[in-house]
Amino acid sequence: MIALVTGCIGLAVALTILLLMRKDKLHAAHGLAWFAVALLFACLGFAPGIVDMVAGWVGIEYPPILALSTGMSLLVLKMLLMDIERSRIEVRNQRLTQRIAMLETELQSHRASEFTSVGDNTGRCSANFPGSKRDSGRRSDDQD
Amino acid sequence: MIAPGIMDETTAPSPDTPREHRTAIVMPAHNEGEVIGGVIRDIRRACHYEIFVVDDASTDDTIRAATEAGATVIPLAAQLGAWGATQTGLRYALRSGIDTVISMDADGQHSAASIPELLAPVLNQQADVVIGACTQRGSILRKIAWRLMKRTSGLALEDITSGFRVYNNEAVKALASWRATLLDYQDVGVLMLLQAKGMRIKDMPVKMQPRIDGKSRIFHSWVIVAYYMSQTLVLGMSKRRARHSSNKYIVRGQ
Repeated sequence: MIALVTGCIGLAVALTILLLMRKDKLHAAHGLAWFAVALLFACLGFAPGIVDMVAGWVGIEYPPILALSTGMSLLVLKMLLMDIERSRIEVRNQRLTQRIAMLETELQSHRASEFTSVGDNTGRCSANFPGSKRDSGRRSDDQD
Repeated sequence: MIAPGIMDETTAPSPDTPREHRTAIVMPAHNEGEVIGGVIRDIRRACHYEIFVVDDASTDDTIRAATEAGATVIPLAAQLGAWGATQTGLRYALRSGIDTVISMDADGQHSAASIPELLAPVLNQQADVVIGACTQRGSILRKIAWRLMKRTSGLALEDITSGFRVYNNEAVKALASWRATLLDYQDVGVLMLLQAKGMRIKDMPVKMQPRIDGKSRIFHSWVIVAYYMSQTLVLGMSKRRARHSSNKYIVRGQ
């Protein structure tokens, strides 16, 4: 009976993953890994003898420990991968925030210099603003 | 030697001369509306470098005060912390064709009178980065923190946490990189990144004023200090190099 329950839970999780992917709530790249885990969960649920067999091969006397420690290791690995991905997203988010701020300042400066040139009708730009004539040596910020 | 920009108005560029060496001051600011205007005016009285104030999502009138005082304000839409804001200023300076960047705090701790002294080794190409060091300042907590940071990272600099620094163009490029965006603070991680790039770092003693608002962003709460120290110490250990190779780029002060 317990095998049936755990197998059904695995299948339900797999179906939920498919549903989330279908509704665009879960990115396919993440969904694939979770779908595989859910299917594995279902397989082990319907055929718990697999765990006993593998535990026998590797010399573990109490087979549930193998399933438990494998599951925990996978969870830790997944969490580590999530933090790596999060770090990457944080950096990208920060770079974008910085870029928006820089572009906003450049836009303001551009508007100010346009205003100045219209105001005095001399065509001169404000000397210290990026984008002005003085700024002929402008370089791009290379890493974006 | 008068550093370019120090009270020497005769150095205005003519269209025929080669592009002049440009220096700018980058100042991260978060809710410094009460003091930043005075700080900028003090700097402008001492020198005429461009001043870029990076507003770290302040909720007060920092932007208005800095703009009125004559600075160019770079407004961040979200708070990135002191290093994130400083890096924004460095990236903006790089985009604007600035050659040398001076980073200063917006709370009035750093005196503009020390700028020529700090700038000279960079302009004379004796160092790529100069740190204004003031080891007399700070609480016992800060001094313990310095000692631990130096021990774990292997950095042989006097004042690791000082934000009063001068960077040449190569150093600015290194600090504008993606890798530097991963850092949260401007101390150990930034210095070790510069060291790994082979930059010559020099620390020079300077005088610092007490903060006008009297409060450090980190060294005022034990919880924040504990988090900051743990993160910095682990970072220092992870990036530590052999003592000989880590300190061969440190230029001894006079």
